[in-house]
Amino acid sequence: MPPVATPTAPAGPVPAEGDPAPPPPAVAGVEAAIPAIGTRLAKAMGRHHDPRAAIEARMMDRIADRPDLRAAIFRLVDVRPACRDYPDIAEHLAALLDEVAGRPPEGPVRSGDLPGGELPVPLGLARSLARRHGSRTLVGVAGAAGVRAMAGRFIAGEDAADALPAVRRLWKDGIATSVDLLGEATVSEAEADAYRDRCIEVLRTLSAGSARFPARPLLEHDQHGELPRVNLSVKVSALTPHLRAGAPGRGAASAAPRLREILRVARDLHAHVHVDMESLDHREAVRDLTLSLLAEPEFAAGPSAGIVHQAYLTDAAAELEVLLGWARRTPRAQPLSIRLVKGAYWDHEVVEAQQAGWTVPVFTDRRACDREYERLTDTLLDHADLVRPLIASHNLRSVAHAIAAQRARGLEPDAVEYQVLRGLGDPLAAALAAEGLRVRTYCPIGDLVAGMAYLVRRLLENTANDSFLRAHASGTALDRLLEAP
Amino acid sequence: MTLTAAAPLAPFANEPLLELRRGAERTALTQALADLDAHLPLRAPVIVDGAERGGLPRRSVDPGRPERVLARAGDASAEDAAAAVAAARRAFPAWSATPAAERAAVLVRAAARLRDRRYELAALILRETAKPWPEADADVAEAIDFLEYYARQAVALAEPRELVHVTGERNTMTYAARGVAAVIAPWNFPLAIPGGMVAAALVTGNTVVLKPSEQAPACAAALYDALRGAGLPAGALHLLPGGDEPARALVVHPHVHTIAFTGSSAAGRDILRKAADVVPGQHHLKRVVCEMGGKNVVIVDADADVDEVVPALLHSAFAFAGQKCSAAARVLVHADRYDALAERLAGAVATLEVGEASVFGVDVPAVIDPEAVERIARYTAMAHADGTVLAQAPLPAAASAAGGTYVAPLLVAGLPADCPLLHEEVFGPLLTIEPVASVDAACDIVDASPFALTGGLFSRSPATVAHVAARTPVGSLYVNREITGARVGRHPFGGNRLSGGGTKAGGPDYLLAFVEGRVVVENTVRHGMVV
Repeated sequence: MPPVATPTAPAGPVPAEGDPAPPPPAVAGVEAAIPAIGTRLAKAMGRHHDPRAAIEARMMDRIADRPDLRAAIFRLVDVRPACRDYPDIAEHLAALLDEVAGRPPEGPVRSGDLPGGELPVPLGLARSLARRHGSRTLVGVAGAAGVRAMAGRFIAGEDAADALPAVRRLWKDGIATSVDLLGEATVSEAEADAYRDRCIEVLRTLSAGSARFPARPLLEHDQHGELPRVNLSVKVSALTPHLRAGAPGRGAASAAPRLREILRVARDLHAHVHVDMESLDHREAVRDLTLSLLAEPEFAAGPSAGIVHQAYLTDAAAELEVLLGWARRTPRAQPLSIRLVKGAYWDHEVVEAQQAGWTVPVFTDRRACDREYERLTDTLLDHADLVRPLIASHNLRSVAHAIAAQRARGLEPDAVEYQVLRGLGDPLAAALAAEGLRVRTYCPIGDLVAGMAYLVRRLLENTANDSFLRAHASGTALDRLLEAP
Repeated sequence: MTLTAAAPLAPFANEPLLELRRGAERTALTQALADLDAHLPLRAPVIVDGAERGGLPRRSVDPGRPERVLARAGDASAEDAAAAVAAARRAFPAWSATPAAERAAVLVRAAARLRDRRYELAALILRETAKPWPEADADVAEAIDFLEYYARQAVALAEPRELVHVTGERNTMTYAARGVAAVIAPWNFPLAIPGGMVAAALVTGNTVVLKPSEQAPACAAALYDALRGAGLPAGALHLLPGGDEPARALVVHPHVHTIAFTGSSAAGRDILRKAADVVPGQHHLKRVVCEMGGKNVVIVDADADVDEVVPALLHSAFAFAGQKCSAAARVLVHADRYDALAERLAGAVATLEVGEASVFGVDVPAVIDPEAVERIARYTAMAHADGTVLAQAPLPAAASAAGGTYVAPLLVAGLPADCPLLHEEVFGPLLTIEPVASVDAACDIVDASPFALTGGLFSRSPATVAHVAARTPVGSLYVNREITGARVGRHPFGGNRLSGGGTKAGGPDYLLAFVEGRVVVENTVRHGMVV
C-alpha cells in the first residue's frame, strides 16, 4: 500500500507518546525562570477572580466526576434552543435525568461521590417537579435561566453593537479582543453569503466603534509595525456549504470569493482577519485557502491576517514547517500571524478515527501534548522576525514557559501575543496584562441558539478530567501545575 | 492445494476506511484508476469447475461514460447453470467435510488478497458502477469485513450447542451445510454484497454458484479470483455472469438448496414463489435468504438539531445517487420545524455536485443505466405534476455530453398522500418532505408501509427515542445520524416485512440461514447401568 502521509507534510520526527521529553533548544535559563513567572501570574489571577465563576467552577467540578450527569446537563444545554417552551425544557430535563437515574455512572466512583445512579438533591428535586403539571413551568424557567447564565459567561453579546461595550472595557484594561461570529452551520450558498455579510458588518461596526478608543501602545504595535485594533476571527466552514474532507479543493474554491471580500474590507479598514482552524478533516482546505489568498498580489500590502496551528496533532511539527516555509516564500507587509493552540476538536478527532479505524491523529497523552506545545512555542519564537507568534493557552505552565522563552531570547514585550477565551481565561488575561504583555481575548458573539455548539465544546473542555483549568480550580498545588510536562 | 488449519483468529475489527482527507490516499487512488484504465477491458467469463465456458459476448460499461467498456463478460445459459450446479454438487461432500477452521482460513486469506488490491478494487467498483470514491472504498472494506467476520462466526458455529443434559443420555446439536447455494447479487454493492453472501454460504460448508449482476461482472470476477487465489477448491465456487436466464434456471433447479438474493422486491417475491415448488428430483425444501427494497423514512422531531439533520439527510438520500437500499426517500418533519428544515434542506440540495464519480467530492454520480434514468424520470414527472419541487441540483453539461446517465437530484414537497412517489421505491436521487403533527403521526405513516428496511429519527429526548424504537418495524433504526453506511459486526443489516426475510447480514445470526441443525440423542444406559 502507498504511504499515508500527506504530500505537504514531510515525514518529520513525530515524538512517540510517553517518551521522555527531548532536551529543549539551547536557550539558557528558561526552565529556571518558569516557577517565578507562573507564581506571579497565579497571584495576579487570584486578584481577578470572579466569584460567580468560582461557584460555577465548583459546580462543574462536582459534575465532572459523574460522566452520566455531565452528559445529561450537556444534553440539556444542547437541546435548549430547540425547546418550544418552558414545560418542554422541563420534559427534556426530566427525560435526561431519568436516563441518569436508570443506570450506573460510567466513570470511576471515588469515596465521597454519589452512589451509582443517584441524583444530587437539587437535580432529583427538579426531576420530580418536572413530572408534575403545576411545577413543570417553574423547572423549565430555572433550566433556561441556568443555560442562559452559562452562555452569557462565554458569549460577549448578540451582535457587534451589543458586544462593543465589552470590547471597549477590555481595551481600556489593556486587553485586545478578537471577535468571532457564532452561527448555525452553513448548508447553503445563501447561508454562506449571510455569514460573509455579517463578518463585513462586524468589521465596519467595530472599526467605527473603536476609532475613539484611547491609545494602548502595547496593543497597537509590534516588531513588524502597526497592529489593527479591530480583529475578526472567521470560520471557513461558515463561508461555504461545499467542505468535503475528501475534496479540500471543492470547499476552498467555494469559500475563496467570500473570504476575498472579507479580506478586502479588512484591508481597507485596517482590520485583522484571523482564519480559525477546525477539525483535521478540513485542515488542508483551510490552510490552502488562507495561504493562497494571502499570496494574491492585491493583499501584499494588507490586511494583517493569520492562521491557527494545532499542537495536539501528532504531525504538528511538520505542519508548522509548511506554514513557515510559506512565510519565507511569501513576503507580505503584514507578516502571517500564527496562533498556537492545543486544539478544540480532540474528542471529535479521537471518535472519528476510532470509528473509521484510523490512527488517532492527536496526542492522547496530555503531557505529550504539552511538551509538543512548548517545542512549537520555541520554534515560533525562533521565527518572530518572520511571523507573528500568538500563544493561545490557558495552561499556566505553557504560558509561563512561553514568557520565559520570550525573555530568554531577548524579545521585546510586544513581540509575542498571548490569547485567551472569554469566560475561561479572563483572570489569566488580566494577569498577563499586569505582567506588561500583549494579550487578546477571543470573544464570540451571537445568539443563544447560534452559540450552543461553541458553548458545549467550551463546557466539555472546562470539565474534562485532564483540563488544566479544572485542576487549577480544584486546588492542585501550584508547583505541580508548573512542573515540566 | 492443501489447506492447513490456521492459528486462532484475532477478534474481529472492521477494516479501516481509507483516510481520504489525506492527499497521499487520493493520489494513490487516482493512480490506481489510471492503471486500471490502461488495462481495460477486463475479462469476466463464465467459470465452471475452474474452467472457462463460452465466449465473452456481453459488455459492462462505465455509466458515466458508456463508451468506456469495463469488461467483456460471459453470457451464461441455462445449460451453464445446470453444469455449475452439477459441479457444485460433486464438490459438496469434500468441501462440507473440510473442518470449519480451514474453510475460515480460506476466507481470511481471500480478505488479505482484497486488502492487497484495495486501491485497484475501489477503482474497478468506481468505473463499473459509477460509485464515487468514498462509497467505492467502503464497498471494498465491507467485502473484507464480511470475509473476516463470517470466518470467525463459522468457527464459533462449529462448536456443539449447549443442550439440557440428564443422566443416561448424551445429546448433541451441530449445524451442517445444506448443499448447493445459488447467490444472485445486485450491482449497487458489487463486491460487498456478493462477497458477503458467497462468504456466508462457503464458510458454512455449502458450495456456491454465483450469478452476479449483469452490470457488474468484473467486480464479481475479482471476488472469484480472490477466493480461488486463497485456496478455495475449483468445485466450491462457480461464476455465471449473464442475464436473467441463469438466475431463473438456478431458482428452479432441483439440486439448489439455498438461494441468497439481494435485489428488487418484485424479483424477490418471484423467487420465493418459484422456490416454494418442489420439482422432480428435489429432496428438500429450498430456503430463500432475501434482501429486497425499501421506502426509508426519516422522522424529524421538533427538538432535532437542524444543523445536524441537513447534512445527514443530504448524505443519506443523495450519496451514490440514492442507489442504496438503505437510502432515505421520505422525510416526515414535526410541523413546528417544517418550514425551517424545508428551506435549509432545499438550499443544501441545490449545492449538490453532480458529476463523474472519479472526481473527488462529487456527491451525485450517473445512475446505473438508461433504464434507471427512465424509471426515475417517471417519478420526477410525478413530482412536477402533483407536488412542488423545492430544489433541484444543476446537471453539468459536460457530464451529460459524455453520454452519462445523469439525473438531477430533487427535493419535493406537497404531494398528495396517495401519490406513488410517496410509497414506491425510486432508487434514485429523489427525496420527499412532509410536515406531520407529531412523532406518533409519523410512526403511524411508517407503520402503514409494507416496507421496513431502514429508518431514521432525529430527536434529543431519550423518551422519544425509546418510544419510536419500540414502535417502528424497520430492520435498522438510525438515531441522530445518517441512515446508510452499515458496518459489519456493528450494524447488522436486513429488512423486515416486504423488505426482506429478516436475516441480518453482518450480524451474529446470519450464518444460521445457510445451515441446518442436526441433533443426536444417544442412550448411554447399558443393562440398566449408566456407562
